[in-house]
Amino acid sequence: MISHIPSILLRFILLLLSQVLIISNINFSTYVNPYVYPLFVLLLPFEMSRLALMMAGMLSGFALDIFLGSIGMHAAAGLALGYFRPLLIKLITPTGTEFEVSPNIYAQGTTWFIIYCGTATLLYLLFYFILEEVTLRNVLHLLLKVILSTLVSVIFMILFVYLFSSRRKKRFA
Amino acid sequence: MYNLIRFILQHHLFLLFLLLEILCFYLIYRNNPYNQVAYLQTANRVNGTLYNAYASIIGYFQLRSVNDSLVHENLRLREQLAESKYNDYLHSGQVSDSTHKWVQHYTYIAAQVIYNTLNRPVNYIYLNKGSKHGIKNQMGVISANGVVGQVVSVTENYAAVMSILSKNFKVSAKLLRTEYFGNISWDGYSTTHVNLEQIAKHVPVKVGDTLVTSGYSYLFPQNIMIGTVSNVNLEPEKNMLDIRVKLSEDLGKLTYVYVVNNLRKEELVRLDTLVNAAQLKP
Repeated sequence: MISHIPSILLRFILLLLSQVLIISNINFSTYVNPYVYPLFVLLLPFEMSRLALMMAGMLSGFALDIFLGSIGMHAAAGLALGYFRPLLIKLITPTGTEFEVSPNIYAQGTTWFIIYCGTATLLYLLFYFILEEVTLRNVLHLLLKVILSTLVSVIFMILFVYLFSSRRKKRFA
Repeated sequence: MYNLIRFILQHHLFLLFLLLEILCFYLIYRNNPYNQVAYLQTANRVNGTLYNAYASIIGYFQLRSVNDSLVHENLRLREQLAESKYNDYLHSGQVSDSTHKWVQHYTYIAAQVIYNTLNRPVNYIYLNKGSKHGIKNQMGVISANGVVGQVVSVTENYAAVMSILSKNFKVSAKLLRTEYFGNISWDGYSTTHVNLEQIAKHVPVKVGDTLVTSGYSYLFPQNIMIGTVSNVNLEPEKNMLDIRVKLSEDLGKLTYVYVVNNLRKEELVRLDTLVNAAQLKP
């Protein structure tokens, strides 16, 4: 676990910078508001306890909030993501599957990874956008926004994973 | 009691989850757009430095389009020089000292945009000028092409502007052709269009009509371009027209803006307080 910490920190900084400087600046449409950032919680090692996941989710979310000026919103969404991650993994993984140290596109396969990121991001963004809009006045707009944003987010996540992870399974944390 | 402790132990993670979520909600509530100004003031300093470095890199890629807009801006300013203006003071029979014919009412502070969002319910634009350069809270912000927003928080070197694409931003606007005025508001989704409200049914509005600032607020001078009418909808149940306005400024491409300094603002505020005081008296 200790040996993973440097690579986790490095990934945290990379994700924060690419989210704040690139992805949040795309401004393609109000309906497409992608977030590559949930990947931080999604790629944490399997052996981490639920409590540690919750804390990591909330604190990393708070760090993003500071840069995007949305104090509390990403922290709340990240906390929920950390809390529900073990449940999600249990739901989408067939029993008896052997796991690597942490979720990995090479080890678990692309299909599993896309489903994993897709469902997690869908939940994350649904939670986040409801918090952001405060009202549920425009439910259809909101749902469209969540779905389109999730699709684009997952594309960015896969891109990020292919760009920044090494193929050697054991080194990748 | 024993059962309660057992329940807490069994569900301690879920209870902690709820507790932390409540903490987050409290943070969000504390920092809603109305209170966000307070937060921006502290965060501005950190973010400003980062975004400024980023903008200085990105700036090179936009030089060409920036030059184009500067040329147009210069052209527009040239048109406003004394030579190209008609002074009708004498025709109305007034005699005045020539040095007092045109009293300066507004001055402008040019600033560069270093951070800009479009896709949130309340969108902020960060500028690389702050209180050191004369920017104060509650000043209007315009660009070469039209209205941009309003300053909501200032630090020494940076300022945050709430853009016209914000749900709680309202600006008074008038139709140039017919002089009727209403309020501009944003629906939260389109980045190119806003709504014009409070225009009564009998007002003749045509697609393509120009919309400018009314000058009824302290923020903007009169006749600053906002946009053109793109769609007029008459709903039988309502008394008001449903008007869509296409913004003349593309807020996604913003690079240089002008902060409006209203030299008569204090006097207007004083008048306001006098009116309020007079209303309170029996």
